[in-house]
Amino acid sequence: MESLKVDFRSPQRQSRVAIGIILIKFIKGTIKGFWPILLSLFIGRKAGSTFQDVIGYVVLGFAAFNLIGSVLTYFRFYFHLENNSIVIDKGILRRTKTNIPFERIQTINFTQNILHQLFNVVGVEIDTAGAGKAEISIDALNKEDANALREYILAEKEQLTANNAPASDLVEPAEKEAPQLLLQLKPLDLLKVGISQNHLRSMGIIFVFVFSTINEITDNISDIVADQFTQYEGYLINNTLFVFLTSAILVIIIAFLFSLISTLLQYFDLKLWISKKGLKLVRGLLNREEISINTHKVQLVSWSTNPIRRLFKIYTLQIAQASSSEVNVQKSKINVPGSYKHQIAQVIKMVFPTEYSGNEQKHALSKLVKQRIILFLGVIPSLLGLSTWYWSGIECLYFLIALPFSMTIAYLYYKKNSYEINDELIRSNSGIVGTEHLLTQIHKVQVVKISQSIYQRRKKLASLKLYTAAGEMSIPFITISEALAIENFVLYRVETDKREWM
Amino acid sequence: MTLHFENLSVDPNELPGLSDFEFKSVDPRYLKVSLISSTLFFLVLIIGATAAIYFSEFEDKFLVYLISSSSIAILLGLNVLVIILGFKKKKYALRQRDVIYTKGLIWSTRTTVPFIRIQHAELKQGPIERLFKLNSLKIFTAGGQSSDLVIPGLPEETALNIKDFILKKTAEDGKSES
Repeated sequence: MESLKVDFRSPQRQSRVAIGIILIKFIKGTIKGFWPILLSLFIGRKAGSTFQDVIGYVVLGFAAFNLIGSVLTYFRFYFHLENNSIVIDKGILRRTKTNIPFERIQTINFTQNILHQLFNVVGVEIDTAGAGKAEISIDALNKEDANALREYILAEKEQLTANNAPASDLVEPAEKEAPQLLLQLKPLDLLKVGISQNHLRSMGIIFVFVFSTINEITDNISDIVADQFTQYEGYLINNTLFVFLTSAILVIIIAFLFSLISTLLQYFDLKLWISKKGLKLVRGLLNREEISINTHKVQLVSWSTNPIRRLFKIYTLQIAQASSSEVNVQKSKINVPGSYKHQIAQVIKMVFPTEYSGNEQKHALSKLVKQRIILFLGVIPSLLGLSTWYWSGIECLYFLIALPFSMTIAYLYYKKNSYEINDELIRSNSGIVGTEHLLTQIHKVQVVKISQSIYQRRKKLASLKLYTAAGEMSIPFITISEALAIENFVLYRVETDKREWM
Repeated sequence: MTLHFENLSVDPNELPGLSDFEFKSVDPRYLKVSLISSTLFFLVLIIGATAAIYFSEFEDKFLVYLISSSSIAILLGLNVLVIILGFKKKKYALRQRDVIYTKGLIWSTRTTVPFIRIQHAELKQGPIERLFKLNSLKIFTAGGQSSDLVIPGLPEETALNIKDFILKKTAEDGKSES
């Protein structure tokens, strides 16, 4: 046992900074819960002076509630180590005592928001295996203490598991190799990632945000918009094109800036370390988080790109690990944008056994998928469009544009969708405009599903879905005999492979 | 490691295929359960619609009643048709190492769960199923909610037997794993 600078064996409180951090968490929580009420109070303020007093009391009460709540939370939070487990004792009204044995701890992650960074403390999140039970977290701890705590727990855990496991598994716990820095996003890379974001999505997010906010405050968006516009009516009519162009440019610029800034905030100074046991990721500007990934927990690796990214030759790497509960599904998927191909190859080499990866043959989907796409995206919309001849006259011919459009999509879809399989790994390639590759080890599959529509049954086709503990892989529109063969093979591999899937 | 994979050249066709075993249909009484619950659902829908129209300010309420109730009746008819025709598709099979369940008239799906990937299994019984003494067997895997398997319409004894069989198999296969 190594000695710790701080004795964690007696009950400890968190760093004092935690009060502030809990306070902010509290305020966020209450504002989230009550903000429509607060806002309506502020808006209704002009109604009269008596009302103003009410607001004063409400705000005062609100502040007092938050302050007292956070102080009490702080003073009623203890943690300590005993008997190879970490014990957390907390709760104001309902006291809970959580005891987590070291063996059950999967990873210990640190997060730092701006307040943490100012005071050099970290938030500690302890992720446990096992369904249902939520992970536990410590709001603020001195950085050195937290590091010491983590190293101590992980070392003890290793010793415990090493004692239980048979000797053959005991290969590397003694050697402590230094993790190797695989990837670091430099400002230029960050800029590339920002530029190549999906700006349409940012636009969507902004629109949804703006409209839902307005909707919360008032019920009549259309009235507001109409009100605003009638003021400028004359002006608008004279300058329609100009107004349209400027507003379009404005929206584009805002969306662009939004994605650039959100990229900066999320991925600032991203670093990915690689070691034998797993990966470690640090990223973020205001909210700096550190995530560790155990190699054996990785279920799926995917890498994707879009046309702009292809120019820069960068991919977005996603590593999905098995999640203990449905709640933190999002958290278990780790995105590393701005990765180059050789870095991805290195991650794959680390995560999945290399002796099996090779250049496998790409199996294409059934050609009939092209006909289906053209039918549903081209022929049917055009026919529907033409049927409006009666109302729209010659202009309904514009609907015919769906035909070349659908043909392009069908061509791209057929070209980009394929799958590759060998003894150990299965990989799917998909995409229309962008491209996405998904790779998993066959023995990590949990459930196999084959589905057929009426059309597919008639043409002897099927779609295959493989579910892993961190997402699914689907291979659409292959022949039923192929689907059955893959199903058989996957089941055979799952049922005979004695390795742990996690 | 290489030794372990030597038998990979096995022709997939030689592995136990679909033809080697028989699918069992779910209990015929489950058809009644589905029909009753569907009828109840539409009954609630009709009551809701009637109430909504009653308290509304339509000019010609009779017409609205007619349109809404007839469209609900059409939906009910379609639903009943799909339930009756689709019932034959609900089948399950237990193999040596996995369990298969098929369903779906328009979109047919076949889900296979290997025993060693089963996390746990439980029996469920809704109020209408209880009248007919039927059970649903729900099988959970780590593959997420969309991949969980539910076999409905099992008589009590069969359900218990299958559940015990599956859990025993899961434990056995899991043991040989470590």
